[in-house]
Amino acid sequence: MTRDWFNVDSFDLPIFQFGDDLEQKVLRPLSCVREHESKWVLEFDLPLVEKKDINVYLNDDEMVVVEAKLREVYRDSKFTRHQYEHFKKSISIPKNADIKKISARFTNGRLVVTIPKIFQGTKIKIED
Amino acid sequence: METKTAAKKLQAERILILGFPGNGLIGTFTLSYIIQHLKMKIVGEINHPDLPPTVFVENGDVIGPIRIHRKDNIYAIISEIPIYSELSYDFTEAVLAFCIKNKINKIIVPSGVDAQYVDKKDIKTYGLATDPSLEKLMYENDIPKFIAGTIIGTDAAIIISFRNKHIPLLVLYTSCHPFFPDPQASIHAVTTLAKILKISVDTSEIQKRVDYLRIQHRNLMQETLDTLYQQEPQLPSKAPPIYR
Repeated sequence: MTRDWFNVDSFDLPIFQFGDDLEQKVLRPLSCVREHESKWVLEFDLPLVEKKDINVYLNDDEMVVVEAKLREVYRDSKFTRHQYEHFKKSISIPKNADIKKISARFTNGRLVVTIPKIFQGTKIKIED
Repeated sequence: METKTAAKKLQAERILILGFPGNGLIGTFTLSYIIQHLKMKIVGEINHPDLPPTVFVENGDVIGPIRIHRKDNIYAIISEIPIYSELSYDFTEAVLAFCIKNKINKIIVPSGVDAQYVDKKDIKTYGLATDPSLEKLMYENDIPKFIAGTIIGTDAAIIISFRNKHIPLLVLYTSCHPFFPDPQASIHAVTTLAKILKISVDTSEIQKRVDYLRIQHRNLMQETLDTLYQQEPQLPSKAPPIYR
């Protein structure tokens, strides 16, 4: 008797995920933020999604919102068969973000949103 | 002739494979596959009073989150819960004691390394060995050496403890996405480990389920990250490429 991680049907009970909305059939994707010297990089894990079915935008609360339609219904376990059809998640824009230059790309089911930083501060002259 | 001799030698040795949640969940995915594939039986569990009280129920049987499996000369220890940094050494000591008691003379630990610090073009598995005999095994299996980096957490505790006890240990670091479950990289880790163990595997069925697995294992990935980030203040300031 073992638990097979690679068999999606081997988990009899649903694995409740924080932030999933069963009523609206919405899954909350994993995401991460990495800070670089000149930019922020937000990543969203969006398996079972096609590029054409992703909607990513900035809302009035200055949040990056990602919505995506799954290419097929996701069922969480053989016991309950809860069904989900979408991903949705919002993340606050990091500080010093240059929101006019935000770009995004989608490869291998991962959405990468790049937000350049605005240079802020006072230039210091290097004396001779 | 040489291959036959090597295969016989490998079969005579007692080997432990060890996997626990970390970058990309590579360790747990890989161990789960090998345990299923070899139909390894549960022969014990590792418990600790400070572990979060968790049990799984499978077909009416209660099983713990850290289990010991065995088939012939191969032992496997799999954890399905992240090992908190405070428990790293206790966990390592338990594994070490098990190895000494059972005369295990080779430990292999599949794990993950952040792909952005290594070659991003394709998935690769790197080896870090504490013993020349395992470096030879890496060479025979075309596994490049993990050259430089900082390792923290349970991986580090295991490497230190086994090196100090002179028990040969090989950590297989597969490049992966560290913050998301990475079954695709795990397939590569499975294939590499299977090659070392000289067992044949067919991962084509897993390949079809990769997207589902990424969704299904979000919770454990998040818990694992929370556990690893607990260690963040203790990190050295200079660019550790693993668990960052």
